[in-house]
Amino acid sequence: MSAVARANRLTPYMFLAPATVVLVFALLYPIGYMVYASFLDWSPSQRIGEADFIGLRNYANLLTDAAFLESFWVTIKFAAVVVTLEMIIGVGLALLLDRNIRGLSLLRTIFILPMMIAPIVVGLMWRYMYHPTVGIFNRTIKNLGFEQGIPWLSDSTWSFIAVVIADVWQWTPFIFILALAAMQSLPRSALEAAEIDGANEWQKIVLIKIPLMMPVLIVTLLLRLIDAFKVLEVIMVLTNGGPGLSTEIVALRIFRTAQEFQELGEAAAMSNLLLIMLMALTIGMFMYTKIQEARTARMLKAAQAEDE
Amino acid sequence: MLNTIKKVGAGVTALTLSTTLALANPYEEYAGETLVVNFPAHPHFDAVMKVLPEFTKETGIRVEVDQLQYLKMREKQTLELTKNKGDYDLIAYVVFSKADYVYADQLENLAKYFMNPKLADPGYDAGDLIDGYVGNIGVAGGTKGYLPGPTGSLFGIPFGSETSILGYRQDIFDKHGLEVPTNYEELLDVACKIPELEPGMGGLASRAASGHHASHAFLLHLAPLGGRIFDDNWNPIVNNEAGVKAAEALKTIVDCGVEGAETFGFAEAGASFLQGNSAMFLDSTVFAGQVNNPSKSKVVGKVAWAPHPVGTRAGSQTGGFGIGIPGNAQNKDAAFLLMQWLTSKNADKMIAIAGGNPSRFSTHADPEVLAVHPHLKVFGEALKNADPDWRPIIPVWGKINADIGTSLSKVLTEDADIQEALDGVAARARDIMEGAGYYTWN
Repeated sequence: MSAVARANRLTPYMFLAPATVVLVFALLYPIGYMVYASFLDWSPSQRIGEADFIGLRNYANLLTDAAFLESFWVTIKFAAVVVTLEMIIGVGLALLLDRNIRGLSLLRTIFILPMMIAPIVVGLMWRYMYHPTVGIFNRTIKNLGFEQGIPWLSDSTWSFIAVVIADVWQWTPFIFILALAAMQSLPRSALEAAEIDGANEWQKIVLIKIPLMMPVLIVTLLLRLIDAFKVLEVIMVLTNGGPGLSTEIVALRIFRTAQEFQELGEAAAMSNLLLIMLMALTIGMFMYTKIQEARTARMLKAAQAEDE
Repeated sequence: MLNTIKKVGAGVTALTLSTTLALANPYEEYAGETLVVNFPAHPHFDAVMKVLPEFTKETGIRVEVDQLQYLKMREKQTLELTKNKGDYDLIAYVVFSKADYVYADQLENLAKYFMNPKLADPGYDAGDLIDGYVGNIGVAGGTKGYLPGPTGSLFGIPFGSETSILGYRQDIFDKHGLEVPTNYEELLDVACKIPELEPGMGGLASRAASGHHASHAFLLHLAPLGGRIFDDNWNPIVNNEAGVKAAEALKTIVDCGVEGAETFGFAEAGASFLQGNSAMFLDSTVFAGQVNNPSKSKVVGKVAWAPHPVGTRAGSQTGGFGIGIPGNAQNKDAAFLLMQWLTSKNADKMIAIAGGNPSRFSTHADPEVLAVHPHLKVFGEALKNADPDWRPIIPVWGKINADIGTSLSKVLTEDADIQEALDGVAARARDIMEGAGYYTWN
């Protein structure tokens, strides 16, 4: 191979090299650091080099740690409930408002306000609204003649409901905006064809709109799921994981393990377990997306063929 | 000739005097230096900031203060103290950091400074420092590793420390002819009587929220009711009779509190008292500064103070902050001089007048201080029973503390069985202690 040919062959790699170096340092190095830390008995008072290497002991401890397992279960429950509710309400609202309504852009702006507020502020705001005596909910309940208010933050079931409501309030607009955007970019031809075939509104939603929006909805769902698994501030401010461990999600457990218990190795192991779970979820969802995309492409092709 | 002799004599005398004065000034060598100190954003340290310029005026040593929110301060110190050369010459640390910092050899042992005649002020009067605070915050290496004892050493000096005190509504007590509780029986009795006498008002505002707050509230009652978390061999005894009594006391207090008392942290419990919704408040002395502040309190002029009620023994909490010299500090001698000055009788008095928490018994009895803050007289009495061992100061405490807090939260909110909850805490505490090597010698 001539020198010129060799240089030509290497050129693309040289262009890629800076980005690869940045990627390695910005992404892989911190993850590698976290993986390494999870094998250590490491307190913040030590440099990482001074910490004892303990192999997989942090992971073994976690798998028998009732508090961690409970927080893992709470997280799964929380993510499943909030994302389901947000998807139903968000997509539902988008379907409702996918029409030429005067003032729609103003309405859209109002809808997305909650997601612009810092989570700490959202937590504080809801905390005061849930206040047993001066909070708006219990005041309203009492004004309606009930003797007792709801123990929003002092009962394990109600606390869970309280954090779910706060999260749904803040993040449903995210689903709504993406779903509305996806809906408005749907090929009109498919909908018109359905209309000509006599499909009613419900059939158009179930058979045309939702299937065509599915790739966008899956990515949206994935983004929300990842976020829901990592949610921290709102719950920290609202319940701090209580009562008992009823709202202690994994992110809060990780924070407490690192900050309060001063066990950085164990906190890193928890983070890795969460990361593994989220990666598995992401891969699964992407595989599903591929299948859905292929299905959508087939549908579009069929619709186009019908148009022709 | 006589004049010349007089002049020389006067000159020599002046020189001798000035030399003597120069030698007598321990600060001169360090004048012009700048010390960097790390303090938390806290009412005591806000008062300190008002007094610090006096130190510079008196000594010529400048002080640069990095005042941070408490958790941020802890985070920053964690990084700072592991460096070879630190930026901080003096740090304030919360009592729990004592266990971590001393164990990691990151705080200077103060013996060598107090032994240095050029640095140690003979008039310092260390015996006047509140011994409960010194044992809790300053000393490590003695009994149980974190208390004073024959093998203990001094690593810090209490500065911004706190104890527990009972605040009560004098007007409400007078109105109903109630006696100020001096023991736990009376305390629980009056706490539950008040909601009957004053409908809508809670008895005693207490912390109870899941986690640290519930644990703190429980420990507040555990020590006076005769309990401890561990015996002298580190066996968990939190589930013994005294432990159960302390948990029952907390449950009674919360049940007789205002609606939603189960969710109260320190701020909410304090707000309930300040807003006039609760008749008593039993917690840290740091709270006292807000009671007569009309912008924060609706009970200005209506609150009186009493020592923490006695159970089977008198024992109020100890906590808050101390100051120490990091092992990697750049100006250790000058930092010691600042530390000594800040905790001297004179500065303690100035800081107390400015609204800080005194570290000395004498300050609590000083007429000038009492003229501004009359409640400090009662605080001084209460401090005679300050218990440095009301909770363990060991590196694994954070995990045990959180477990106590979540278990008791279930007792307070879901009526979980107290004995069962404490048995669970004891079993898990044993596992944690075992993992940390506390039973190696058993």
